[in-house]
Amino acid sequence: MTSLEASAAAAHGAVRFLGTRRAYWRLLIRGALLLMVTLGIYRFWLATDVRRFLWANTEVAGETLEYTGTPFELLIGFLMAVAILIPVYAGFFLAALGLGTIGQLSGVIAFAALGVLGQYAVYRARRYRLTRTIYRGLRFHQSGSAWAFALRAVLWWIASALTFGLAYPFQLASLERYKMRNTYYGDLTGHFAGSGLRLLLRGLPMWLAVVAPFALTVGAFIVAVDWKALGDALSAGGDDIMSRIEGSNPALAGVIAFAMLMAGTAVTLAALLYPAFQALVLRWWMSGLRFGELSMTSTLRMRHVYGAYVRFLWYGLLFCIVMAVLGTVALVALGLVAGGGQTGNAGEIAATGLLLVGYVIVALGFSTIYRATVLLSLWQLGMESLQLSALSALDRVKAGGAPSSALGEGLADALNVGGY
Amino acid sequence: MTSGAGIYFDGQTSVRHDVGVTLGASGLEIAGRDGGLLAQWPYDQIEGMAAPDSVLRLGRRGSATLERLEIADPQFAAAVDERALHVDRTGLRQRRQRIRVIGWSVAATASLLLVAWFGVPAIAERLAPLLPAGIERKLGDAVDLQVRALLDSRSLGAGFECGNLDSEKPGRAAFDKLMQRLQAAAALPLPPRSFVVRRPEANALALPGGKIYVFRGLIEKADTADEVAGVIAHELGHVAHRDGSKAVLQAGGLSFLFGMLLGDFVGGGAVVFAAKSVLQSSYSREAEAAADAYGAVLMNKAGGNARALASMLDKIGGATEPGMKILLDHPETKARIAAINRLAAARPTAPLLDASEWAALKRICAG
Repeated sequence: MTSLEASAAAAHGAVRFLGTRRAYWRLLIRGALLLMVTLGIYRFWLATDVRRFLWANTEVAGETLEYTGTPFELLIGFLMAVAILIPVYAGFFLAALGLGTIGQLSGVIAFAALGVLGQYAVYRARRYRLTRTIYRGLRFHQSGSAWAFALRAVLWWIASALTFGLAYPFQLASLERYKMRNTYYGDLTGHFAGSGLRLLLRGLPMWLAVVAPFALTVGAFIVAVDWKALGDALSAGGDDIMSRIEGSNPALAGVIAFAMLMAGTAVTLAALLYPAFQALVLRWWMSGLRFGELSMTSTLRMRHVYGAYVRFLWYGLLFCIVMAVLGTVALVALGLVAGGGQTGNAGEIAATGLLLVGYVIVALGFSTIYRATVLLSLWQLGMESLQLSALSALDRVKAGGAPSSALGEGLADALNVGGY
Repeated sequence: MTSGAGIYFDGQTSVRHDVGVTLGASGLEIAGRDGGLLAQWPYDQIEGMAAPDSVLRLGRRGSATLERLEIADPQFAAAVDERALHVDRTGLRQRRQRIRVIGWSVAATASLLLVAWFGVPAIAERLAPLLPAGIERKLGDAVDLQVRALLDSRSLGAGFECGNLDSEKPGRAAFDKLMQRLQAAAALPLPPRSFVVRRPEANALALPGGKIYVFRGLIEKADTADEVAGVIAHELGHVAHRDGSKAVLQAGGLSFLFGMLLGDFVGGGAVVFAAKSVLQSSYSREAEAAADAYGAVLMNKAGGNARALASMLDKIGGATEPGMKILLDHPETKARIAAINRLAAARPTAPLLDASEWAALKRICAG
C-alpha cells in the first residue's frame, strides 16, 4: 500500500478500532484473578496491558497508536508517591491530635491539600500517558505546570459546587483549554476549540430535570413551615421535643414526605440521564480537539451509549445470579462442616473469611464488567465516531518531547484519582 | 524467506516510508522503494513493541529516537523473530517475568498476614509497658473525649456521671468504698479513676490511662455488690495490662501494615477494614481472657466472691466491650465462665458491701 492509498483509505475510515471484545474480556478477567491473588500489586501490569490493548488497536489514518509505558515505571511511580505521602499523612495525623483550632481544622486542611494534590497528580499522570503514546514513530508530550493546573482545577471545582453544577461546562472547557494548549504531537501544538456555553445550553434540560425536584422541595419548606413557631418549639427546653415540633407545624410531616419523594425522583432521573450526559460531554469534548490544522468532529449517538449500559446491567444481573448460587452453596457447605462439632471460633473466622472473599469477588467482578462493557464501548464508540479533517497536517510532523516520570501515575493511584 | 515488505518511520518525522526489508548476515537492512538504504538494524538491537495482533512492530533498543518498522506478513515476521534476540513474539519471556511477580506478591501477602497475626500483638505487648504514664493519660483523655461524645446523652437532664446529686451521695460513698477495697488489693501504680455513668446498657469500659466507666445498666442488672465488683475487677485487669494502649498501638500497626504496604484496588479499602476488624477482635479475645483471670484473682485477694464475675458474665451474655457483641457468641462465654470458676477460691465469702451500702449503690443514679 502506498502513502497515497493509505491517505485515501484514511479519508473515509479515519479512525478504526481493531480490538475484539473477547480478547479484552480475557485480559480483564485474568487481571482480576491475579489482582486478587497478589492483593492488588498486579494492578500495574493490568493497567499496562489495558493501555497497550486500547492504544495498539486504535488505528488513525491507517496507523495504530502504540503505548510504550511499562509496569515497572508505574510501580516506581507508586513507590515515589508512597514516599511523599507517608510524611504528609503522618503530619495530618499529628495535627489532628493537637488541640485548639489547628486540631479542629486539620480535617478541612487535609481535605483541601489532598484535593490540590489529586489534581496535580491528574495532570502529571496525563503527561506520563502522553509521553508513552507513540504514533508514526513520534511521541506525544505535554508542557505546562501541574501546580498551575491544580490551582485552576480546584478553584473551578469550588465554583461548580457553589453554582450547583452550572459552572461545570465552563470548568471543563477552561481546564481542557489549558491541557490541550500544552499538548503536542511531535512539534504539532494542540488546542481546544470547544465552547463551555454550548455545552451548558445542550445540558441545561438535563440539569433542570435533576435540580427542579430539589428546588420544589426547598420551595415547599419555605411556604409550608412556620419558622418562628418551629424556632420557639426547638428553643423551649424540657422533654418531648418531637410532639412540640409537630404541634408548632402540623404541615411538617407532609412536607418531609414530599421532600423524600422529590429526592427519590431526582436520584432516579440522574441515574437514567447519566449515559446521555456522558455521551453529550464525550461528543462535545472530542469535537473540540485540535492538533495544528487537524480538526475532529464526533457523531457519537446517545442510544449507543445507552446500549453499553444495558449490556452492563445484563452482565451484572447474570453475575449476581451466579454469585448468589455460589454463595449459597458455600454457606451451606460451611454450615455442614460447622455443624459437625466445630467450636464457634473457627467457624466464625471461616464465615468472615468467606464473606471477605465473596465481597472482593463481587467488587472486582462488577469493576471488570464495567470496564469490559461501558468503558470499552465508550472508547470504541468515541474513536469510531470521529471524523478527521485536514489529515495532511499529520504527514510532516517533526519529533519532539521526552518521556516523563510516572510520579503522577503513582500519586493518582495512591489518591484514587486515576483514569485509564 | 529473506526479504519482505514493511512500513518504516525514521523517528525524526512522521513521514511514512514503504520499504523493502532484507535479512542480512548481522542485521536487518531497510531500503526505500528507490533502492536507497534507509537504515541497518543489528539483530541484537531490535525489540518488539506493542501492536495489534496482525502486525509485528519493531523498535531499536536504547535509541533516543523512536524509529519503527512494521511487518504485516506473518511468515516474514516469524523469520525476523527467529533472528532477533530480544523480540518476544510469543510472550514467553514476559510470562516468566510475570510469574515471578505473582509468586513474590503471594509470598509478601503471606508474610504480611503472619506479621499481622503474630508480630503486631507481640510488639504492642512489649511496647505498651514502656509508654510513660503521662503519654498514656493524654491518650486516655483523647479517647475519653470521643467516648463521651458517643455515649453522653444530654437530654437526660442530669450530668453524665452519677453520684453528684445530694440524693446520690450515699451511693457514691458505697461505690468509693468498693473501689478502695479493690484498689487496696490490686495496688496499681496509678490509682484508677472510676465513675458510674448514666447509660442503660449493662456494660463497663476501661480507657487508656486508667479511667473506668461503669454503666448504670450494669448496677441495675447486678444482684449483689460482688457482681459489680467482679466486672470492675475485670476492667482493672485491662488497666493493669494496659490493654487500652495496646489496642491503640495494634490499630496503628495494622493500619500501617495494610494501608501502606498494600495499594488500593477496587474493594481494597473494605477488605483492609474487615481484615483489621477480624484481627483486632482476635487480639481482644486474648485480652478479655487475661482480664478475666486478673479479675478472678483480684476478687479472691480482695476477699470477694470471684464466681460473681462469672454469674454477671452469664447475665450480660459475655459482651463487656461495646462493639464486641457480634463476635462473641455463647460457646465463648461458657468457656470464659468455666475459666473464671476454676480460678475462684473455694471458701465462702462475705459480700464486699453490706446490705445497706448495696442498697445505696443501687440508687447511685436515682437523682
